[in-house]
Amino acid sequence: MGASNVMQTGHTGMIAAKTAMRTTGHNIANANTEGYSRQRVEQKSQPAIAIKGITDNVGRGVQVDRIERYNDNYVTKQLRDGQQELSNMEERDLLLLQVEDIFNEMNGEGMNRLMTKFFNEFRKLANDPDSEAVRQSVREATNAMVQDFKRLRSRVTDVQSQIDNRVEGYVSETNSLIRQLGSLNQKIVEAETAGRSANDLLDSRDRTLQELGKMFDLSVHYDDRGNFNVDLKGIGPILNGVHGLELSTQRSSADPSNGKRDGSVDILMTGSANNKVTHAIRGGKFGALVEVRDSTLTNIIDKLDDLAFSLTRAVNQVHTQGYGRTGRAGVEFFKGLTQKAGAAENIDLSDSIKASVDNIAAGALPNATGDNRIANSIANIQNLRIMNEGKVTTDDWFNSIVSDVGVKAGRNREALDQQRGIIDQITKIRDQVAGVSIDEETANLLQYQQAFDASAKVIQVADEMLETVLNLKR
Amino acid sequence: MRVTQNSSFNLVKDTVHQSRSRMEDLQEKAVTMKKLNRPSDNPINAAKVLEMRSEKVKNEQFLDNARLAENYLRSSESVISELSDIVLRAKDIAIGQASGASSSQASRVGVAEEVAQLYQQAVGLANTRIGDRYLFGGYKTDTPPVNPNGQYEGDRGEAMVEISNGVFIGMNLPGVEVFNTNADVSGDQSRLMQREAAVAQGDPDLAQAEPIRDKNSPENVNAFSELGNLRIALLTGDLGGIRNTLDRFDEIHENLTAQRAKIGSRLQGIESAAKTMERANITNSKLNSEFEDADMASVMTDLAREESVLKSVLGTSNRLIQPTLMDFLR
Repeated sequence: MGASNVMQTGHTGMIAAKTAMRTTGHNIANANTEGYSRQRVEQKSQPAIAIKGITDNVGRGVQVDRIERYNDNYVTKQLRDGQQELSNMEERDLLLLQVEDIFNEMNGEGMNRLMTKFFNEFRKLANDPDSEAVRQSVREATNAMVQDFKRLRSRVTDVQSQIDNRVEGYVSETNSLIRQLGSLNQKIVEAETAGRSANDLLDSRDRTLQELGKMFDLSVHYDDRGNFNVDLKGIGPILNGVHGLELSTQRSSADPSNGKRDGSVDILMTGSANNKVTHAIRGGKFGALVEVRDSTLTNIIDKLDDLAFSLTRAVNQVHTQGYGRTGRAGVEFFKGLTQKAGAAENIDLSDSIKASVDNIAAGALPNATGDNRIANSIANIQNLRIMNEGKVTTDDWFNSIVSDVGVKAGRNREALDQQRGIIDQITKIRDQVAGVSIDEETANLLQYQQAFDASAKVIQVADEMLETVLNLKR
Repeated sequence: MRVTQNSSFNLVKDTVHQSRSRMEDLQEKAVTMKKLNRPSDNPINAAKVLEMRSEKVKNEQFLDNARLAENYLRSSESVISELSDIVLRAKDIAIGQASGASSSQASRVGVAEEVAQLYQQAVGLANTRIGDRYLFGGYKTDTPPVNPNGQYEGDRGEAMVEISNGVFIGMNLPGVEVFNTNADVSGDQSRLMQREAAVAQGDPDLAQAEPIRDKNSPENVNAFSELGNLRIALLTGDLGGIRNTLDRFDEIHENLTAQRAKIGSRLQGIESAAKTMERANITNSKLNSEFEDADMASVMTDLAREESVLKSVLGTSNRLIQPTLMDFLR
């Protein structure tokens, strides 16, 4: 065995140590890179060969086998799923907070008070049926209530159209993520076929997948040709290797079976058998947006409409039986509404009442200024169960909207806090496997440095040996 | 267990965030002095609070209503009690003049003038107003319920006011029930007017023609008619007629007493309803405060505790983050 072979052996050690140090440096540099998985040089010994004069085989040094990426696919999947749920809840929280704000009556103002005031004004009218001042204040209180119906409804529909804008934004974000994934897939395949390590590309793909997972519930798998595929859960593939599909949006007509309002946005998927996927998408931001828009908010609007409709109908029914101050009978108090849909928007005082408060009917008899029976009956509507097929009073009906929103928001916030804890936990587990520990890397750095030094020493010794051999001649 | 830089930093960030968000929560409570700042803080209590609020507004209105009804009923009562006095005085006069031995036509004509005065007073009382509303007109509160002829021009309307949830009470007594002993039987006032006219024309025959009483069917006696009857009987020296009025004044007086009793029981109802309402208001506001108001002592203690938690988190973070192996490799 020649001294040059020893030198060669030392050289392999230096190369391996340098590679390891470079990887360590890479790890340290990326200690704060999100989604980065620490890498480790896997080295193996070069196979021993037979050397003349020695009975046994002798090793030839070390070789860098590959650069391993520390990553647990199962934890990555858990993290992605957890993030999906977290994003779903965060998005929902953001929206419900706004809705809760609309219905926040805790500071004392709002529909609850205005409705009570409305009925109370009729009680005052009953006490003093002929008073001009009380009649004026009946009309004012009614106006305030009518305006609040309109305000509530329009603020809820505002949130709906804001959701539409968000859907549109997320759709373009999704498309860009899918394109990124496609091109990452291509680069990964290229790198792997060339025998290069695709570690950092794989990290990028995991990261991009996690971002995409925030949008909706997805699943990933390799098909039999080795393509990396992404499926939209419950719908079908959205990415097949490098070929991705696109989402698009479209403002479309109402879809009552799903609670979708006219003119709000539908999500379409190119290449899907049934183009419309709005209500098939589950989880993530899309799931939250669509559910809040088409279920929670639509429900609230329906309840408001129902309330406005039933209230106007009940009041009108009584009011038309009475006589105003001028002896006119059959006057409607509210403008008559023909349908529930949009009632909270269309609710208004009738033209006759707008024209003169003399047309407010307090009594059931003409020319009986002290007759307060109609006023009493209208005030009494507050105690009647006119909502939900005679089961609920108007007050309870409205309060249930408020508490429903509260329950939804509160429950979601609790789940959100919990989910944050879960994500923290999974992140911790991921960090245990894939995270960079500076202490560890520093120790490794020293270890590799020493290996490097020692390998250099081997070369130095080999050099000295060679010199000794060369000096034999002298 | 591998502890990485990221997880240490995350731990620090998370604990600081958690502590700060708890502090923010406590601060909101401290500033608003409420623990129920939005429905999601406690949805069930939030609905309950709203319910109690509208209950409170309603209850206040009911109390107002009760006071109004009380005012009307007390006024009615005092009018009716004055009417009773008038009826008793008329009866006294009738007793005094009923026998020929103790009275003469001259004395009868003299007291007839007093009876005419009593009649005017009675009509005046019947037309009592509160504000601009006639008390005894039923629903017809804008016109005098009794005209100078003693005829009732109101209706039988009873204005009901709500004094507690779904409980209504009449705030007026329709005059027709006060002035008549049996309002359902129509009184023959036209007959009285014919007789008035006959007296004025000096036709004693017609004036003396007394309506015949039918003992079997309930008879109605009208206070004003009876005062009129007494006056005519006095003027015409109809002793029998004078005697006839005695029973009837008794009936009228009985009826007035019954009306006063009715008012009394209504007032009692109002009083007990108002008391219940006031009690309910107290209970409600107690409950309300329990649901809504933050316990300031505990909020402040929590805040102080949270502050020390935050300080210790920040203090330990300093130690947790600082050293790495690097620091010791010099």
